[in-house]
Amino acid sequence: MSVHMVTNLLASEGDPISHLVDKNMGDTPLMLSMATMVVSAGVICWLLARAAKAIATGPASIGNRRYLPATKFGAVVEVMILYLRDQMLVPVMGERLTKKYLGFLLSLFFFILILNIVGLVPFVEVQELVAYLRGQNYDLQEHQTAAIFGGAATASISVTAGLACVTFVVVQVQGFRELGIKGWLEHLCGGHELVHGSIFLWLVIPIIFAVEFLGLFIKPAALAIRLFANMVAGHTLLLTLTMFGTMAVKAGLGMFAVTSITLVSGVGAILITFLEVFVALLQAFIFMFLSSVFISLMAHEEDASEEHGEAAHAH
Amino acid sequence: MLLASADPMAFNWLPFVTTIVVFGIVFFVLAFSVWPKIDKGLDERSQKILHEIESAEAARVTAAAKQKEFEQKLAEGLEQSARMIREAKAEAVRLGDEIRARSEADLSERARRAAEEIDGARRLAVSELEAHAAALAVAIAGRILQRELKPADNQRIVEESLAGMSAKRG
Repeated sequence: MSVHMVTNLLASEGDPISHLVDKNMGDTPLMLSMATMVVSAGVICWLLARAAKAIATGPASIGNRRYLPATKFGAVVEVMILYLRDQMLVPVMGERLTKKYLGFLLSLFFFILILNIVGLVPFVEVQELVAYLRGQNYDLQEHQTAAIFGGAATASISVTAGLACVTFVVVQVQGFRELGIKGWLEHLCGGHELVHGSIFLWLVIPIIFAVEFLGLFIKPAALAIRLFANMVAGHTLLLTLTMFGTMAVKAGLGMFAVTSITLVSGVGAILITFLEVFVALLQAFIFMFLSSVFISLMAHEEDASEEHGEAAHAH
Repeated sequence: MLLASADPMAFNWLPFVTTIVVFGIVFFVLAFSVWPKIDKGLDERSQKILHEIESAEAARVTAAAKQKEFEQKLAEGLEQSARMIREAKAEAVRLGDEIRARSEADLSERARRAAEEIDGARRLAVSELEAHAAALAVAIAGRILQRELKPADNQRIVEESLAGMSAKRG
């Protein structure tokens, strides 16, 4: 197997973006990110079900050990949940809203996390390499792939927009339920005090309304774009590093130079991968955390001020 | 057919809707089968820890009270033992004095009795000696006088001698 073949398979011959974008699965209209999401959803449900079984209180026959997580994976998940709940969500949302939205926010966090992590594992490249080695000849166009699973789903704006849309709906439902239609409109107009305040303050209400109304959509859009941009940037960097080998081959360099460049860029890609694991975790957290902030902003003003006061006190 | 675009910012409705549907399914599955179990497990653990802390706190308070009670009893015991030692010492001194006094009195009595016995024995010995000496003297005198003395005379002479000796001593 030549170096050229490997580098060609690990990174596309063209620009890294074309390798990164979501592709059709063969001739079907189905996109690779859709299959990845379905498989990842199954995996995350299975993993979290195992974690739940490990975290749940065991039989009385094992004594006080029944209160400890039964597996290390369960302990890790428990630590993550406790940290997110007690150190991040409760100070921002308060006990009541945290209890109400913990399931949604944790689902969001773990769903995004596993999509981000799956995106770091070269499942697509491995499948294409296997197909290549088995001599399977797919007549695929640039927008198609032979893989049935893999790729960075969160590097697709359609996927992140879908997640942001879910957050948008949850935030607005929270607003309507907590504040009512009148309270929600008052919130858009700057709050109860401004609406029922001096008549001169009414002059700024249209401006505030425009800003707040746009903010309704800008906030989830920012969520979507932030996650998408971070994933695209990280994967582009990784792909660029792995493409140095291909570029060396195309430039007609000698075997020693090609090997050296491939090794150095490969080591760099490995190091960046560790950074990307952290980014995957961080972006999942940021998405979930900002969602919790948007939800808490739709709480009663007294609750919100109290919760934010608690958060400030906690920090 | 919906085709993928080379533009990463290109929006595609199919993944968008799929994301919402898949996440919705994930959320409902987790909400019904995972989060309640985890929540219950964490709550039970928190309750257990809280209960254990409260039990430990109660045990600590009880132990502190017991320790205080023990220390009080120990102090009382020490004081009582010190008092008993003091009393025992005083009793020992008193008994020692009493025994010593009794011994001294006993010794004095014994010495007195011994002196009396010695005196009595001495007097008995002297009287026996005197009687013997008188008898000898009478015998000697009888021999000198060449005449037999009758026992009654002999006795009378001895008694007279003894009376005379006693009168001389007295």
